[in-house]
Amino acid sequence: MQLAINIIVLAAIYALIACGYVMIYRVSRVLNLAHGELMMFCSYLLLTTASMFGGHPVVAIVAALVLSLLVGAFVYVFLMRRMTGEMVLAAVLTTIALGVLIRGIAILFWSAQQQYPITRLGFSNMTFALPGGGRISLFAALLIATTALVYGALFLFLRFGRWGIRMRAAGQNPLLAAQRGVSLHAVYALTWSLATLTGALAGILISLDSGLDATMVTIGLKAFPAALVGGLDSLAGALLGALIIAFAEVMMIHYVDPLLSDVVPFLVLIAMLVVRPWGLFGTKEELDRV
Amino acid sequence: MRMKIAVAAMAVAIAGSASAQDAYVVGITSALTGPPASTYAPAMEALRIYIDRVNTNGGINGKKVNLVLLDDSAEPSKAAANMKRLTTQDEAILLINASLSSTYAPTIGEAKRASIPLLFAGGVCPNEVYPPADPLQFCTTAYAATFDSRGALTFVKETAKGEVTLGLAAMAIPLSRGEMEFAQKIAPEFGFKVAGLEVIPPPTPDYTPFATKLKDAGANWVFSWAPWVTQVRTFEALRRLDWKNDYLTWAHLEAEGELQRLKDQKLFVIGANSLYQDNLPIHQEIREAVKKAGAKYPAEQMSEGWIAGMVIEAALKGAGWPATPAKVQESMQALKVDLKGLRGGPIEWTKDNHFRTKQFYRVYRWDDAKKAIVVAKDWYSFDVK
Repeated sequence: MQLAINIIVLAAIYALIACGYVMIYRVSRVLNLAHGELMMFCSYLLLTTASMFGGHPVVAIVAALVLSLLVGAFVYVFLMRRMTGEMVLAAVLTTIALGVLIRGIAILFWSAQQQYPITRLGFSNMTFALPGGGRISLFAALLIATTALVYGALFLFLRFGRWGIRMRAAGQNPLLAAQRGVSLHAVYALTWSLATLTGALAGILISLDSGLDATMVTIGLKAFPAALVGGLDSLAGALLGALIIAFAEVMMIHYVDPLLSDVVPFLVLIAMLVVRPWGLFGTKEELDRV
Repeated sequence: MRMKIAVAAMAVAIAGSASAQDAYVVGITSALTGPPASTYAPAMEALRIYIDRVNTNGGINGKKVNLVLLDDSAEPSKAAANMKRLTTQDEAILLINASLSSTYAPTIGEAKRASIPLLFAGGVCPNEVYPPADPLQFCTTAYAATFDSRGALTFVKETAKGEVTLGLAAMAIPLSRGEMEFAQKIAPEFGFKVAGLEVIPPPTPDYTPFATKLKDAGANWVFSWAPWVTQVRTFEALRRLDWKNDYLTWAHLEAEGELQRLKDQKLFVIGANSLYQDNLPIHQEIREAVKKAGAKYPAEQMSEGWIAGMVIEAALKGAGWPATPAKVQESMQALKVDLKGLRGGPIEWTKDNHFRTKQFYRVYRWDDAKKAIVVAKDWYSFDVK
C-alpha cells in the first residue's frame, strides 16, 4: 500500500511540474528550460508573502500565487516577447540564461539556507493513516488533489474556454490565428502565466511538505522526462509519462538500487526516444520541428 | 550581505596586488552559490566578520589581513581558476578551500605548484591532513571521515536499550556514501545488525520511498552522515511513516535551529562543535559580533568560520612580518589554538598531524520537559594517530 502511495505522490509532483513544460511548448513551441527556476522562485515568493501577511496564511498563499501569475506574464512581456520571430533555439537559450539569473537572485535575496515556509505560515504537516497500512502527509495529499484539479481545469479550459480555444489555435497555426483576430502576444503571455502558476503550485506544495532550498531547480529538471515521455505537446501524455517515470523510480528504489532512481527517468526517456521519439501522445509532425 | 561580500571581495581584489606588501593576503575559494552553498556561505561570512574585527583592532603583527574571497559555485573548474588567480595575481600567502570535495583536486594541485599552504575550513578534511600529513595541507573543519562513524556508533551502543538494527542513510556523493559504507562495515564490531544502507540522490522530490525501505527493513536506529538536507528530510519522511525510533545524525551548521524546529526527543545530533544553547562567553562574543555586522546568517551557524579565523590569526601571528608562504607553513606545523569551548579541546597541529591530535564529540537532543536542547552525551574523544 505504501509503495502505491509513494508512486502516486511522486507521479503527482512530476505531473504538476510537467504540465508547465507542455503548456508553453504546445502554444509557443518554446522549450522552457527555466521552468524549475521559476518554480523555485515562486516558492521563495511565498516566504516573502508569509512574512508580509504573518497572521493570514491563506492570504499569503493567494498573494504568492497571484505574484506567480504576474511573474509568468512579466517573463513573457519583458523577455520572451523579444524572441518572437527569432529561431526557436534562441528562445530556448534565453530561458537557460533566465534560469541562471533566477538562481543568482534567489541566493542573493533569500540566502542559501534551507527554508521552511510551513513554519512561517503556522501550519503543521500532519499525517493520515490509510486503509491497507499506508500513510500520507497532509501536503502530499493536497499535492495529489491539486494535480487532479489543475489537469481537470486545464482540460476544460482548453476545450471550452474562449481563451483556451485561442491558445490551441495559436499553437496549431499562429499565422492563421492572428489573421482571425487572436492576439498572439496576449495568448502567449497568458500561457506563460498559467505555466508559471502550475509550477508555483508544485513548488509551494513541495516546500510546504519538505522544505525549500536551491535544489528545487533540479526537481524541476527531473520532471522534464515525464513531459517528453508522454509527448511534449500533450497534457494527457504528461500525466501518463509522470506515472510511468514515478512507477519506475519507486520500484527501482525499493527492489533494485536506490542509486538508480536518479537515472531511471532518463533511461525511460532514452527508451522512449528510440521507440517513439514523439512520445506516447505527442504529435509526430510537431516534434520534428524542435 | 552577499552583495557586500562581493563588493568587498572585488575591492580587495583590485587593491590586492598593490597592497600585497603591506598586508597578509589570504585567498579563499568557496561555494558561496550553488546547491551546497548553505554549508559554506555562513562559514565564510563568519570568517569575514572575524577578520574584519582583527583588522579593526590593529591587525596581526601591526599589519592588516586582506581576504580575497572568490566564489566557485562548488565547480572544480571555477575552483581551479580561482586558485590560479589567487596564487599568481593576488600573491596569497595562505590559501583556503571552503567548498565541495570535488574541488579539492584542482585546488591542491595549484597550492602544491605554488608551494603555498592550503587550509580546508568548512569542507570535509581530506585524508592528506591525517598522520602522516602532507606538509602543505591543513584542516579545521569539525567533521572527519571514519572518526565520525566510530563516535556515532559508540553513542548508539551506550544509549540503545536492547538489540540494535541499524539503518544508514547517505547522499549519493562519494564522501557521504563512503562514510556510510564504513559505518556499515564496522557496525558488527559494535554488535549491531545492519538493516540497510540507502544512498539517496541529492535532488529528490520525495524522501518517502527511501524512508519506506528503511522502515520495512526493521531499523530501530538510523544513522545518517550526509549534507543536512538529506539527513533531515529522511528523518521527517520516517516520522511521517509513523516510525518512532531513534535517529542519529551529524550536527551540521543548521542543527541547532533544526532541533528547535522539530522538537523531537529521539532525534540526536552528534558533532564536534558546541551548540549556542551552552551560552559560553565565546558564544556571546560571536552573537554580538554577528549582530554588529548585520550578518545574513544566524550566529548559531558561525562556529566553523570563527574557528578558521582563530586558527588563521594564530598562524599569521606565528609567521611574523614580512610573511612568506614558507613561514606561514612553518608556523602552522606547530600550532595550538585554544577554541574557548567552541569544541571539546584545542586544535593542535604537529609536523605529522594537520588535523588535530584529539577529535572530540558531543551529542545533543531536544528535551520536551525543559523545552530546550540538552546534552545527551558530554564530550568524549578519540586520539588521532
